[in-house]
Amino acid sequence: MAFGRRSPGSSRHPPALTIVTALLFAFLSSAAAAASSSTDAMHNNNWAVLVCTSRFWFNYRHMANTLSLYRTVKRLGIPDERIILMLADDMACNPRNSYPAQVFNNENHQLNLYGDNVEVDYRGYEVTVENFLRVLTGRHESAVPRSKRLLSDEGSHILLYMTGHGGDEFLKFQDSEELQSHDLADAVKQMKEKHRFKELLIMVDTCQAATLFSQLQSPGVLAIGSSMKGENSYSHHLDSDIGVSVVDRFTYYTLAFFEKLNMYSNASLNSLFTSYNPSMLMSTAYYRMDLYERPLNEVPVTNFFGSVMKTLHTDSAYTGFLAAHDYETPLSVGDNLDDHFMLKDRATPRRSNIEKEAQLTPHGWTEVLLEQLEGKNTDTVVMYGLGAMGILLALSTWLSM
Amino acid sequence: MAEIAGDEAPTPPPPISGEVSTDPYTSIPASTGSNNPPLRTTKPGVKRLILTASVLLSFLVGLPFLLKSTEIHRSPLPSDAITGLAHRLHSAPPSFPCGLHAVFLRSVPDRSDASLTRRLEQSISAQLQLLPATSTAGNVSVSVTVESAGGCSSSSSSNVDSGWQCGTVTSADLVIGDEVFDELLHSALGSGRGDGSRVYTVVVVEVDDAEGMRVVVGKHRHAWVVGKADEVKAVSVIGKVFAKYFMNGGIEEGEAGIGKGEFMPVGSDGNVVLSFSLLNADPSDWVYDWDFEKIGERMLNPVVEALRPIAEINIESQVLYHTPKSSYSYSDDKLGGNVLSMGDIPFFVNSNEWHLDTSTSATGRSKVLQFVVYIPSARECPLYLQLPDGRLSKTNAFISPMWGGVLIWNPPDCSLDSKKTHGTRKKMSSQELMETIEIFIGQLRQLFGLKPSYLSQDMDMPTKFVVSEKGFTEWELDLLYRHHACSNLLSCLTTLESLSSLVRSLPRMIVMDEIGRQVELSLEAANLAQGNATLGISDSSAVHATRARALAEDAFFHPSIMSISYASIEHYFAIYMPFFAPVSLHVLLAAIKELKRYKAERAKYSAFLASQATSS
Repeated sequence: MAFGRRSPGSSRHPPALTIVTALLFAFLSSAAAAASSSTDAMHNNNWAVLVCTSRFWFNYRHMANTLSLYRTVKRLGIPDERIILMLADDMACNPRNSYPAQVFNNENHQLNLYGDNVEVDYRGYEVTVENFLRVLTGRHESAVPRSKRLLSDEGSHILLYMTGHGGDEFLKFQDSEELQSHDLADAVKQMKEKHRFKELLIMVDTCQAATLFSQLQSPGVLAIGSSMKGENSYSHHLDSDIGVSVVDRFTYYTLAFFEKLNMYSNASLNSLFTSYNPSMLMSTAYYRMDLYERPLNEVPVTNFFGSVMKTLHTDSAYTGFLAAHDYETPLSVGDNLDDHFMLKDRATPRRSNIEKEAQLTPHGWTEVLLEQLEGKNTDTVVMYGLGAMGILLALSTWLSM
Repeated sequence: MAEIAGDEAPTPPPPISGEVSTDPYTSIPASTGSNNPPLRTTKPGVKRLILTASVLLSFLVGLPFLLKSTEIHRSPLPSDAITGLAHRLHSAPPSFPCGLHAVFLRSVPDRSDASLTRRLEQSISAQLQLLPATSTAGNVSVSVTVESAGGCSSSSSSNVDSGWQCGTVTSADLVIGDEVFDELLHSALGSGRGDGSRVYTVVVVEVDDAEGMRVVVGKHRHAWVVGKADEVKAVSVIGKVFAKYFMNGGIEEGEAGIGKGEFMPVGSDGNVVLSFSLLNADPSDWVYDWDFEKIGERMLNPVVEALRPIAEINIESQVLYHTPKSSYSYSDDKLGGNVLSMGDIPFFVNSNEWHLDTSTSATGRSKVLQFVVYIPSARECPLYLQLPDGRLSKTNAFISPMWGGVLIWNPPDCSLDSKKTHGTRKKMSSQELMETIEIFIGQLRQLFGLKPSYLSQDMDMPTKFVVSEKGFTEWELDLLYRHHACSNLLSCLTTLESLSSLVRSLPRMIVMDEIGRQVELSLEAANLAQGNATLGISDSSAVHATRARALAEDAFFHPSIMSISYASIEHYFAIYMPFFAPVSLHVLLAAIKELKRYKAERAKYSAFLASQATSS
């Protein structure tokens, strides 16, 4: 669906007023920006948003791409609670899958991507453009659980990986809708305004991938696409056993780069980006770094693909807290504690006994009845009851005749 | 053509014979055969004209109703109020005025006069000018009281009133012990009042038989200095205590601590969930349980109450099993156990196996802080943390800002033969649990930007800090309230500004009433917070600022603001054109044609009348 060009707001107001408000706003926003940019947060955590936008059996390779990257990112340390995985998830149990519950990304079938511990956050028909934009901007309904939200803060680095079928300035979502490049740019702009990330790395593996991030303007964003405008991205090889292509070239070479790494290594992003060979990819992997301040050879890949945790040693406990607590409530510490609670426990049944007696004395006959019913089986009681009802019924009928 | 013919005199029946060459409808006008317009004898009727005109009119009358009912509902956002707030906050950043009251308790029966107090006041103010200013504290007003056996005089140049009553406290009271003296001073100072700016008191107690000076910082809003000193030294100590501790919380310039964004672990809706977990790395060795419900919650209740103005805290606890760590420790016989270095610590938390984030009470925008007790398995027990300088850590604990803290607890029967304790279920003793909670309180202080305790401070004179049962002393709480109030106010403002610019940039976006209401409530709370800040009331200012920020975030993150569902102008036309365009076209055409026909008929009639007039 075509999204109309947004008309600038100024066309609806008289020009003079527009200029004044624009100036005032520019002044205020620059002041605000100056204030906010001076507090530069430390890199605290890493998040990954992995999106596979295709469904149906012949798009097997897209799901294999996403699952391979999921596995890599988990292996390098990002936990499930900081990964948002959006998949159509219709490959593993597809009737056409001759290896049920298994998804491979190589024809040697050495690695089952769908093994154990795969947590898909948005599956099937939940992978829509609206949900994707809601994840990015954080505008969910209040009932959406925490595991489906991107809970990043101003110290987070986010990896956003998208794969599927794309074209010039758009990405197709599940054969029914499209994500346009200006929607993505708009969402990233709103994320930046709300400080939802410190740095963002966008990796796109589709045809004409570089056009998808052509409209980005927000600082701190790094983007790489598998092909440029007018080029297609190709799959790597066909698995004759499964019958479809199992991985795309760009992702294949990305995985080959990461298989050599572990979570302690510090290979730079520059080495990753320059490892792509256009003749092997059959397309040009294009990246834009004009919005990114740091030079790429100083940024380790684990800044985005691995986990990081800034730690500070706790020099001492807040000694004296126990003593201060004792000072305030002298009776409730140590052995006195158990005594205290035992006293309370003994007090409560006695109190409840008193209450129970108070309740039951006007109804002493119910106690008698309860005692009678104590030992008997419920079935027999029911039988007795039904029998009594039947007798009463017969009696009343006979009396009325 | 049928309509034109129908109004005239009834046409003669068409010829029955096969004379179809002449069209019966055109035969009538053709019969006249002249160049004059055909005449009619009767006045043309207006029924058809009125009918078509009324249909057209009803369409025209209904058009404004259509436009009104399909217009985008945009609740008006008070953008000038937002810009006004922005202007106020940027020109005068929120700062809390406070007061410093210095009391000198002299033993010598010296006659204290007004000039002495004034001199002391001026030197203290001069001292404060020299020290670096804090961002959140505003004007500091100073007042001095000198009390000796001869009498008591205070400087009355400023309005600082800490409620000090002369004669209630003497230097002889020092023997009762620091904590009790603290409470005595607290009661002597009128137990503080909640309204008005905060006043911090430093009492200088002169004793002759002491060498050097000793500083004790209490847990309310006062400190005292004991010793024999001249005026200059006393004034410098007072200034340093005030600036370093009461204003800055012991954090030096450039140190990581309060005031930086990563030390404010409060969710954007003002909620924090403290999640305490006991991790058994290998249950086949031993399984530990704890009594956190009874002991822990009771001990943490005062802390939760103390932090209530800045965060709504919920406490949860759980016990987990099969949770190995993911970094490697090596065995060091010299130190007697397994050792983890600080470089391994960032990889300690094994997020794949430690399913910590299982909170059910944490909503989408609240912050969860994890406090983890890790019990190592028999293989790696006892496990120590080695600091970079080679010493072993006393606490075996570390924090990660905005995430939480981890403590490694070695079970007491670690050094024994592990085979004896195979798979037994044990409980952490109350004493151990309480000591663990002490470390957690230290970590909580660290997460909020303060030092876990002041034991390792190096001051040029011995300093003691009285420990509070609330986990934070009142002056530390004032510090937290001030910082959180300032930062929440600024963040609320930037959120409202982005929301306003977003709404303005998309003229056809629906803005629901709820958003408008939340913005108004947020502005109201922000104004209250700013007003309280100028008065110096830090706790109510913090409450209002937290509320303002929560409301602003609710408005900004309202799920109805989704860019994909805006009704653009083309969309609007695409919906309504198929309904109205064909129908309105037909109606318009019909009305025009009717009008033309009516005019033609009238012309004919008037021609007939004219011919009648000429012939008669």
